[in-house]
Amino acid sequence: MSMLWPIARITFKEGTRNRSFYGISLIALIMMGAAFLISGMVMRDVGKVAVDMALSTVSFAGLLLVLFVGIDLMAKDLDKRTIYMVLARPISRQQYIVGKFVGISLLIVVTVFLLSVFAAISISTIKWANPDYFPRFSWGPVFVAEAFIALSLSLLSALSFLFASFASTSFITLILTIISYIIGQSMSTVKTLVENPQTAGITVSPVTVKLVQVAYYLFPNLSLFDIKTQAAHGLAIPMTYIIWTLCYGIVYICLVIVFAAFLFRKKEFP
Amino acid sequence: MQGRTTAFLLAVLFILHVFMLGKASIEKRPLPSDSGGGFVFPSPVLKITSFEFKGIVSDLLFIKALIFMGSTYERKEETLMKPEKWQWFARVLAASTDLDPYFVDPYLLANAHMTWEGGMIRETNTLLEKGTQYRDWDWMLPFFAGFNNFFFLHDNAKAAELLMTASQRPGPSEQLVSLAVKLAYKEKMTENAILFLEAIEKKTDDERLKKEYETRVRALQARLLLERSVSAYKDKFKRSPDSLQRMIEKGIIKEIPRDPYGGKFSIAPDGQIICSSDYLLMPGQR
Repeated sequence: MSMLWPIARITFKEGTRNRSFYGISLIALIMMGAAFLISGMVMRDVGKVAVDMALSTVSFAGLLLVLFVGIDLMAKDLDKRTIYMVLARPISRQQYIVGKFVGISLLIVVTVFLLSVFAAISISTIKWANPDYFPRFSWGPVFVAEAFIALSLSLLSALSFLFASFASTSFITLILTIISYIIGQSMSTVKTLVENPQTAGITVSPVTVKLVQVAYYLFPNLSLFDIKTQAAHGLAIPMTYIIWTLCYGIVYICLVIVFAAFLFRKKEFP
Repeated sequence: MQGRTTAFLLAVLFILHVFMLGKASIEKRPLPSDSGGGFVFPSPVLKITSFEFKGIVSDLLFIKALIFMGSTYERKEETLMKPEKWQWFARVLAASTDLDPYFVDPYLLANAHMTWEGGMIRETNTLLEKGTQYRDWDWMLPFFAGFNNFFFLHDNAKAAELLMTASQRPGPSEQLVSLAVKLAYKEKMTENAILFLEAIEKKTDDERLKKEYETRVRALQARLLLERSVSAYKDKFKRSPDSLQRMIEKGIIKEIPRDPYGGKFSIAPDGQIICSSDYLLMPGQR
């Protein structure tokens, strides 16, 4: 257990030194700037558009971080064979995986926090310029949405660990993580659609319905963490929803990391 | 020397770039544009493919429709817009509100253009009713839908129903309340009008207004009693009574109820209950 923290700390430091990190920050700043332009084009729901832009920027920049910095941090040790030096020390493979995940999760949380500060500045400035167009705005749902973004990104990062524990290259890990993200974000809508095809005027075979239902329980339901609409319109978010979604995220992360650690123990390095 | 050559080369290339950009942009103008006639993906497809960015996609679809409508004004062709362009406009706004049904701007844009200019009243009302359902705090959307029903479709019953919905939400003026009552009353919907006024009265803090509403409710209750009596008379004698006195003679009612505004009730030739103080039911006319 004592070895976890040094690995987590090194991973976090490595992440902040990664040059992609600065590129992602630049994209986030440009998107925040675009929020001023786009919110100026709407007639009434200026607040909604400002929050939409701010939260989507946090989400998108975080997604880039997981896909390019997170996977790189995990894969670099394997690709450059530096993992031999780490594992030569008195540290188990499971400790290595968990330590790395804690480090990357910390990087995600800190990044989302910093992006949230920029988001708050962007929303506040637009609110200051258009005080009459934020009638239902409240910071509470915005903060909950940002916390859920961090949790959802950690979950995606955990999945990338699972794929890295058996995939031969970091490129395959990247592709599998992107596929999981796409499925995780859309599975809930697809399931509703195939279970009620008459609503969209389509026909779906029973085999497809079964396949979708199986995939629904295998892949994470990332859409549960998406409460941007509620935050943008200042809609009520029940506390029970927050608690159950939080529990779901934590349990899924534990499940995936335990499985990744198991596979990683069996992995043969070249 | 090498630095100067590079700077010169960069300057020439930049000037060429600006020149070519202008030329290419001018050449592109006459090309067919997808704006105002292109394909709009069905909402289920948009919902799946926009992942967690449904809010932004909704915003961008709205802006696309807004820019299209703005450009028609620039070209002064709004009245000449072909039906397929109006259909495209309606589909884009419907897709935008499917992705984020709480977003108010697409509803307002639809109502501003699709009714007077586009003649798409039913399509506009379908959108407004969706907005009314989701934005359950907003009185403007049911108000607009009510107006469309009243003014364009001449459906007073539906208009009254929507205006009642609008009046029960925070914000609308007393004028709206009176309009709803007026429409409801004309459509023999006295019972609904009473329920509606009672709900408004409960929400009102002002004592003067509370008393006003109570009086209106009493006036409508008296009318409702007479309307029901006329129905009972019709059921029994298979024709309308020619006067209220006739209903007393036939034992349908014991007495004619008192109008709190001091008016006198009577029966119109079409069988409707009318009162000499009917105009007093409307605020601002007393």
